Amino acid sequence: MSDFSLSVREEGDLVIIETSGYLNNVGGEKVSEACYEKMDGGKKHFLLNLENSKVVNSIGVSILIEIIEKLQDVDGKLGYYNCAPIVEKTFNIMGLTKYSTVYGSEAEGMAGMA
Amino acid sequence: MVEVSALDQLDYYLASLDELGEILIDADQSASVSKGVLRLALGTVMASKGAIFLHHPNTDQLSVLASQGLKKQNPFLSPKKLLNQSGKYKNTHLTLDKNQSWITGELKKCTQELGTKILVPLFHKDRLLGLLCVGKKFMGEAYTSAEIKILEIVANHLTKALYNYELIRNVDEKGKQLNLKLLELETLFDISVAISSVLDIDELGEEILWRSVGILNASKGMMLMPKENSPILEPNSSFNWDNTDVLISKKLKVFKKIEETKSGAILTPEDKNSLQKKLREDHIIIAPIQAKDNILGYMILCSKETRHGVEAFTQTDLDLLSALCNQGAVALDNARLFKDITEAKQFNESILGSIATGVITLDPLGEIDSINQAGLNILKMDRNETIGNHYMYLLEKDMDIISLIQMTEMENITHSEINMPFLTVSREAVVNVSVAPRIDPGGNIRGLVVAIEDITDVSKVKNTFKRYVSKQVVDELLDDDAKLNLGGEEREVTILFSDIRGFTSMSEKMSPENVVSTLNEYFSDMIDIVFKHNGTLDKIIGDELMIVYGAPISAKDDTQRAVATAVEMQKQITCLNKERIKRKDMPISAGIGINRGIVVSGNIGSRDLMDYTVIGDTVNLGARLCSAAGPGEILVSSTVWKETQKHHSYKKLDPIKVKGKKNKVGVYRIEQDN
Repeated sequence: MSDFSLSVREEGDLVIIETSGYLNNVGGEKVSEACYEKMDGGKKHFLLNLENSKVVNSIGVSILIEIIEKLQDVDGKLGYYNCAPIVEKTFNIMGLTKYSTVYGSEAEGMAGMA
Repeated sequence: MVEVSALDQLDYYLASLDELGEILIDADQSASVSKGVLRLALGTVMASKGAIFLHHPNTDQLSVLASQGLKKQNPFLSPKKLLNQSGKYKNTHLTLDKNQSWITGELKKCTQELGTKILVPLFHKDRLLGLLCVGKKFMGEAYTSAEIKILEIVANHLTKALYNYELIRNVDEKGKQLNLKLLELETLFDISVAISSVLDIDELGEEILWRSVGILNASKGMMLMPKENSPILEPNSSFNWDNTDVLISKKLKVFKKIEETKSGAILTPEDKNSLQKKLREDHIIIAPIQAKDNILGYMILCSKETRHGVEAFTQTDLDLLSALCNQGAVALDNARLFKDITEAKQFNESILGSIATGVITLDPLGEIDSINQAGLNILKMDRNETIGNHYMYLLEKDMDIISLIQMTEMENITHSEINMPFLTVSREAVVNVSVAPRIDPGGNIRGLVVAIEDITDVSKVKNTFKRYVSKQVVDELLDDDAKLNLGGEEREVTILFSDIRGFTSMSEKMSPENVVSTLNEYFSDMIDIVFKHNGTLDKIIGDELMIVYGAPISAKDDTQRAVATAVEMQKQITCLNKERIKRKDMPISAGIGINRGIVVSGNIGSRDLMDYTVIGDTVNLGARLCSAAGPGEILVSSTVWKETQKHHSYKKLDPIKVKGKKNKVGVYRIEQDN
């Protein structure tokens, strides 16, 4: 479980990023790189599937905050789905869910981000 | 040149101040405020270059917050005398027309690059928040006192704004720290919840490890548990760890120290500990997982992450990890106890399930709280009919068993009873019952255990056979069911018949009581001898005995024992007669015939009256030999003679004619020593 990996796909205007592994400094950086690359291409709506990222630390959260800030500058949005309860709780406590949304499923996320 | 009136100038300044208000209200970041303020200040005093530097008290560095005309500049160390010298110009300014010797290093370079003419230290009370540098005025004109005044006013507002933003930043930072503390508390709470909900040791270990790694910003973690009877510590679970095959001994110095001090350790690159070498990690934090004084394992986390790399773990981190591990230790100890109890329960259940004795446990109220399969079989009930019901309800037909249970309830000692009728099941059912109190480790009575052994079949066999065979044979039969075949079957047996000679005419001269007492005395002695040689008493017909050797149990020496029985019977009759003569009773004599051959054996008769017996020609010849035997004689067939001739002396007699046999059969008489 030491390798962090992600896959990126597009569903219309929405970019869906599926992560696997620890969402820490390394994992967070990879997510932000993927987001910024797509933002450079004009994408503004991002949905993270965190099903295979059961643990997140505060560095990972701070990187997500940076992504949210950059998305706010372009009226973009960030959302998540398939979050483990501990991850969702961390997002709530660290204030992430004020500026981004946790969805129950991909379909729910796609509808919410539309 | 157009003359600008003082009124116009004032109007311009007021407009600038109004704009300053807008900038301060609208902007939500110190950088954008500073940029706006700098632009406004420079515009107001008609300067093209300038900068606002922010002072960082912790590092005593200056960084560029906003600039015009300055190349990109990294934060740099303040001049040594900055605080001291700039403090002289609180709420005012200094001009840089003259060389200010205390402005040195990078700040000097910046001021030169900006062509700084006026420098306003931004002080809030005694705290230097930053510097406002303004370059030369447009066309090199000198700044008027009004312009300098307006710069001081702008600087004053900028100071307030910077101070406010610092406060907001501090509040944000405190809020973030509070959130982290809240997350720590939530994590501790979650683990305390997990203690009561997760009882799988591996799952629980993984949960605690994941939480610890996440909350402490570690890059990886591992939970080590001691391997039984070995100094090796094995990874119980790991997170984000590539290679967990490293051999780690609990004899390592760091673990020994933890064991001594019962507290965790923080390793930094300077420690150069062997564990760091083994794990190839510089920053390690270790906390023992200990329940009471027993160390169950160790939690090891590595490399505390920051946004820009890794840093050393702190004592606060160790305190938090220790708290998590202490919580985890309780949970792991609970899980381990639960596992032990579950295993013990399964072990007990498998034992109870495998035994034939029914075991029923009663709670203190007398209700059944468990029953094994044998118990259900004996009661002929299913589990739903028994669990939760009171024993008096289930055993209402068996008052004797109820009394036995009640005696145990009252006296708190074990009571047992054998051969009890068990009417709950049927009139024929017979059980052995034992009732014992259930006592917990504290010595308290927690109910009763009722053990019921179904001996219905055993009882039937005993009742059937005890009249016919010796106790030894009954026991042998009960020990090995395979020997017992009560259905019809052909088998080779030895038959012994004995008959009192002349008993009919003798009995005519005796009183009925004397006849009965004579027969009882005779049969009592004879049957004792039969049972002594493990013969089966098949029948008593009048004064005749029919004994079988080899049914229901066969033995190699069946014939030997039959002959030995006959010899002993005749000897006993001699002894008996001596007694009888002394009592002036008439002596008695018996003739005995023995044959060996194939018979049909089994339970023969009607449903109501059934006896285990043997039938066939072998039986008839035995009876015929008995009839032919004179008083005190033992006649045997040739088959018996062949088997026993080495042990006894025989005299061959004339063959006799037997009903149903074409040829006469050979007869031998045992020559007895009298």
